[in-house]
This record gives sequence, C-alpha cells and structure tokens, in this order.
Amino acid sequence: MFQIVYAADKVTIGALVDLTGPTGDVGKPYADGIRDCVRYFNENGGVNGKEIDLLMVDYQYKIPQAIAAYKDFLRKKVVAIHGWGTGDTEALSKFITKDKIPYFSASYSEHITNPANNPYNFLVGVTYSDQARIALKFIKENGKKKTVAFVYNDTGFGRSPFFPDGEEYAKKIGVELVDKQVVDLKALDATSQLLNLSKAGAEYALVQETYMATSTILKDAKKLGVDTKFIGLNWTFGKTLIELAKDAAEGFYGTNPFALWEQTDVKGIQFLHDLNKKYNPDITYRKINYIQGFSSMYVLLSALNQTKGELTGENIKKTLESFKDFDTMGLTAPVTFTKDSHKGVNALKIYQIQNGKMVPVTDYISAE
Amino acid sequence: MNYTNCGDFKTSYKKDTEIYQSLFSKISIYSFLVFLFILPFFIDDYFLYLLNIIMIAIIGAVGLNILTGITGLISLGQGAFVGVGAYAAGYISNKFGLNFILVIPIAGFITALVGMVFGIPSLRLKGLYLSIATLAAQFILEFVFIRAESITGGVTGLSLDYANFFNIHLDNDFKFYFFALLLTIILVTAAKNIVRTKIGRAFLSIRDNYIAAEAMGINIFQYKILSFGISSFYAGVAGAMWAYYVTIITPEHFTIGVSIQYLSMIIIGGLGKILGSIFGAIFITILPEILRFVADQFTSNFPFLTQAFASIREAAFGIVIILFLLFEPEGIVRRWNLIKAYFKLWPFSY
Repeated sequence: MFQIVYAADKVTIGALVDLTGPTGDVGKPYADGIRDCVRYFNENGGVNGKEIDLLMVDYQYKIPQAIAAYKDFLRKKVVAIHGWGTGDTEALSKFITKDKIPYFSASYSEHITNPANNPYNFLVGVTYSDQARIALKFIKENGKKKTVAFVYNDTGFGRSPFFPDGEEYAKKIGVELVDKQVVDLKALDATSQLLNLSKAGAEYALVQETYMATSTILKDAKKLGVDTKFIGLNWTFGKTLIELAKDAAEGFYGTNPFALWEQTDVKGIQFLHDLNKKYNPDITYRKINYIQGFSSMYVLLSALNQTKGELTGENIKKTLESFKDFDTMGLTAPVTFTKDSHKGVNALKIYQIQNGKMVPVTDYISAE
Repeated sequence: MNYTNCGDFKTSYKKDTEIYQSLFSKISIYSFLVFLFILPFFIDDYFLYLLNIIMIAIIGAVGLNILTGITGLISLGQGAFVGVGAYAAGYISNKFGLNFILVIPIAGFITALVGMVFGIPSLRLKGLYLSIATLAAQFILEFVFIRAESITGGVTGLSLDYANFFNIHLDNDFKFYFFALLLTIILVTAAKNIVRTKIGRAFLSIRDNYIAAEAMGINIFQYKILSFGISSFYAGVAGAMWAYYVTIITPEHFTIGVSIQYLSMIIIGGLGKILGSIFGAIFITILPEILRFVADQFTSNFPFLTQAFASIREAAFGIVIILFLLFEPEGIVRRWNLIKAYFKLWPFSY
C-alpha cells in the first residue's frame, strides 16, 4: 500500500475545490485565491515557522469524490480543511464533527453556521439568508410599492436564502412577497417566469443564481421591458456578469460582502495588487471569487497562526471563536466568530452596476 | 460463454447451473471471502472507505443489471431509486426508531413498490422509449426529494443516527465494512440464485424474445414489474446503506449523474452477468481515485499543470469508457473469463 510520510515540521491543510465541474467558472479563481494565500503565508514564516502543505483536490462538485478526498485528507493528517459547495459541505458535516476538523466553506447556507449542530463548520462571508434579509431591508427603505419576488433555482443552494428565512423576514418587516419563480441554473430562457413576475407586480426581485442564469434573466427582462429591479446575491454579482449580460446588466444590484479588485483604496486590495505583481505578473485582473477565496483562507491561516499549543481541532476552534472584529485588511467587513454563531461576517454593501462598473450604493448594512 | 475443462461432462441441466462448477472454484470463492474478512485489519481508513463505497455500488449495480442486463429493460432512474431507499431508511429510523436490521429491508420494499409503479409503462414501452420513461421517474423523484419537506427535510436534508448493532455503533469505516460485506454477500448470492431459477429464466426469455416468451406462457407484464421490483429493492438497500454510512441525506446525492454512473458500471462490467456488475462497480468507483492519484503525482512536481491535468482527468474518464466499448463490448467479465480459460490450460494449451 502507498504510505506517504509527512514531515513533522509541516502543517497540512486540505482544500476541496472545483476546477472542472459545473461550478468551475467561479471555483477556479477561488482556488487561485486559496493557493496564493498559502504561498504568501509560506513566504512569510508559514504557520509559526512551519511550512504549510496545501493538498488541493479538484472534486468536480461530486459528493462521493468529496468524501473520498476527505478520507484521504484524514490519512495525511490535515489540521483543517477548506471546502467548497453546499452538497459536499453538508455531506461531510457529520464526519468533521466526529473527527473534529475545522472546516471552512464557500457554501453560505445559514443552517451550517449554528455551532450546536455543526461545531466545526465556519464561513467567512454573509449567509445567504442574511444577504436576503439585507436586500429586503434595502427594499423596505428604498422601495415605493415594497413588493418583492424571489427568483431561484430549485436546489439546496437556490432555496437556502428564501425558505423559510427570507419569507419570514419579508413578512416581519412588511415587504410583500408577491411571486416566486424557479429559473434553472443553466436556463437559456426565462421569459415566462419574468412575465409572471411582472404581472404579479413585483417592484424588486431577489435573484439566487450563478452568472449564467442571472445574465439570462437580465437579458430577457430587458427584451420584455420588465421594469422590476433585480437584486442578486453574491454568486450573481461580478465582472463576469457584466461581460455576459452587457448593457442588460445596467442598474442590477448585488449584495456583495467582498471588496472588489478596482477598489484600490482598500488596503487588502492594494495588498493583492502588489502580491499579484510579484506572483503572477501577467495577470491584471482578479475576479471577485479570487478575493473571496483569499480572504477565507486568510482567516483560516491567521487562526492557525494564533492558535496556542498543538494544532488540534479543539484548539483551532477555540481560537476562531475568540475572533472578534478580526480585520481582513478591508476585504470583508470585520470577522467575528462566537460560541453561538460561526457566521463570520454579517454586514455587506449593496452594489449597483452603473455604466458597466460595479459601484457601492450603500455603506455596510448588517442583517440584525 | 462458458469455458470448461476438457472432459468435464455435465449429465443434467441442474449441474449446468450450479454456482460452484468445480471443487476448485468452491475453494477459491470461500478463501476469497475469508480473505475479505481478514483484509480490514491490514489497511487504513481510506482504503476501507473505498471498499465500503464499492460494496454499496455493487448492490446498486447488481440490481440494475437484473433489470437492464437480464430482463433487457433499460433504466435511467437507478440513482433516484437509490435516493428513495436512503430517504425511506432515514424517515423510518427517525420516525419509528427501528433498528437498522429492520429498517434496511423495509426501505428496500418501499423502494421496490415505487420502482414497480414506475415500471408500469414498461409493458408498452421498449428500448429508448422506456429509457425516457425512467428518466421521467428520475426527475419526478428528484423533485419529490426537494419538495416533500415533511418527509425528506427538503434541501437541508435528513439526518439520522449511525446504525446500532447491539450497542455497537457502526460509526467508522472499519465497523461499517463488516456490515456492508455481509449484506453484499447475501444480496449477491440472492441475485445469483434469482438468475438461475425460474424467475431468472423468465427474465432472460423476455429480453431475448418477448413474443416467444409470452407464447411459452410467461406473463410478461407480471415478470417485467417483478424485475423492476427486484431491481429497485437492491437500489433501495444500496440507498439505505449509503444513508447509514454518511448519516446525512441531501437531494444532491441522487442526481441523473448517479443513474448514468450505475448504467456505465454494468456496461463496462458486463451486461447480464452478476459478476460483471461487481467488476463494473469496482472499476467505476476506483477509476476517479486512480486518476486523482496520478494527477496529484504530476501536479505536485509541476504545479502549473494543475488546470491541464484537471481537464485531462475528466477526459480520461470518457476515453476509458469509449475504449472499453470499442475493444471489450461484452465487459470486463469476458476478459476475466478469457484470463481464467488461459490459466486453466497453462502452461500447455492444446
């Protein structure tokens, strides 16, 4: 049997990424962010002087492969894992609880942030439910008719922000939910859904999709002259959307917890510009997912650095739960984990696409 | 095709269908089983995990082979039926607190019922048309998994406790292995016996010529539904085992991709052969791991190749399947028989 011996002066971290699967378009820049972050730490002392060994596995968004990779990670004695999607994070949640492996992921489902059930799941980002709440708050303040429709895909990822959290919150703050429409992630046509939505009188629509479906929705809305304003959650928003939807993207809002590459006045972005000049001189633009991956890994590695004593799951968890207003160099709102919540970030800015540029239209809004 | 030794005369049909064709095969099979029971003491969790997943896949693939390989009814819904079994197991074990020894067969029977309902169109539909009807089953069931929140827990999924065998919790790969191995042996033996009895012969005759079969007095509808039932029972048991293995069930586990994977298992392994399903399940489960291992070796030395290798890995999967269909359309099982035949006469062939 293959036995791989790992030197004791290394810290091993597993990363599940999707480079070639269905979410590869956003997964690849995310993985680049993780990789560059590890490289930066390694060139600056590693984790308390120990070199970080990053085991990156492209699991192609397939759950059995994620579990296989996980078992392989355990064998190679990883101290923490950075995961990716909703399905695999949930499939692994019981294992990581049992094996006490701190697990960061890019699935912002709210129910995995409750430490009572998932004590080792963490996320650096605003949960989908909170994003929906913030968007609803925005509608409440800025809307005239204060009516909203939900547009989503019929998967765990798609339904997560709205049912039941978004629905309940809309009722609570007095925004009327007039319609719900399902648009598939790979949809090339959303005409009938948009006509229904417009007939129902939705002033705003919250969109939980990825770039492709979002651009379909925006293009069709423009074609049909639907005057509903669209607010997309974080996976809908980015430069890729502007490239896909072109001028149909004008006026589109996004709930975006991360700083953008253009915002060079943010310390972290300036830092990333410098880092990329050094590591990848031929790259002049980094997608938002890169920043996302970098900031998530940055928090994880910082926690390892600050952990006192041995790097066991319990110790790392304790360190993370002591994070209060941890500064990610402005890449996100300050990160806070507590014993009762592993949400990390709960504030974001709402952006709008104006003249082909993503412009923040609010300051940080928090969900509470 | 059977390769038997020269001078090995069969004097009755009964002899011809015996599982152990010779004393040697009996000894080898039993010693292999003993080996399987000793094996887990010598390997680590990762390989145990692979074996566990393989055994779950074997059960699902054997079921599909009874339906598609032996009865000739193509099904693209096996993944969803596996899901029905998983959800049934999760729901029953949460709701009624039954022991898994009872839950697993109940989950199997529930899935069998569901499978029989979706099998009804098979009376009228054949070939491609039937595959579309079963594809519909796949999508309908996937929809139910997401929407029937009171039973399935919707998109958040359903969480259940580890199986409890007289206060031994099957909560790691080592303990689960023995349970999975026993169940696999029982179910594979059962399948082997189904095939060589009246039911199996009826299935084969339906596959080969349904008009002749009917003329011989076989109730085609009844047997087709029975085939769907048996196949779904296996899928249900596989699903229930998966449920007890991961202990959290979400709809993402049971997509069309899983159905296609099961179909490719039996095609690569050998249609209509129980042994073929086993080979296919092993092959399809291990292939991505081997590809990953190779890719890891390369990319750790040449990190800039990561992306290239990620794509090659995906293509390699397809290429392997195409190569199999081109050079070994009857599946791995035929190659196995050829190897066996070669060594029977080794070193002096006729």
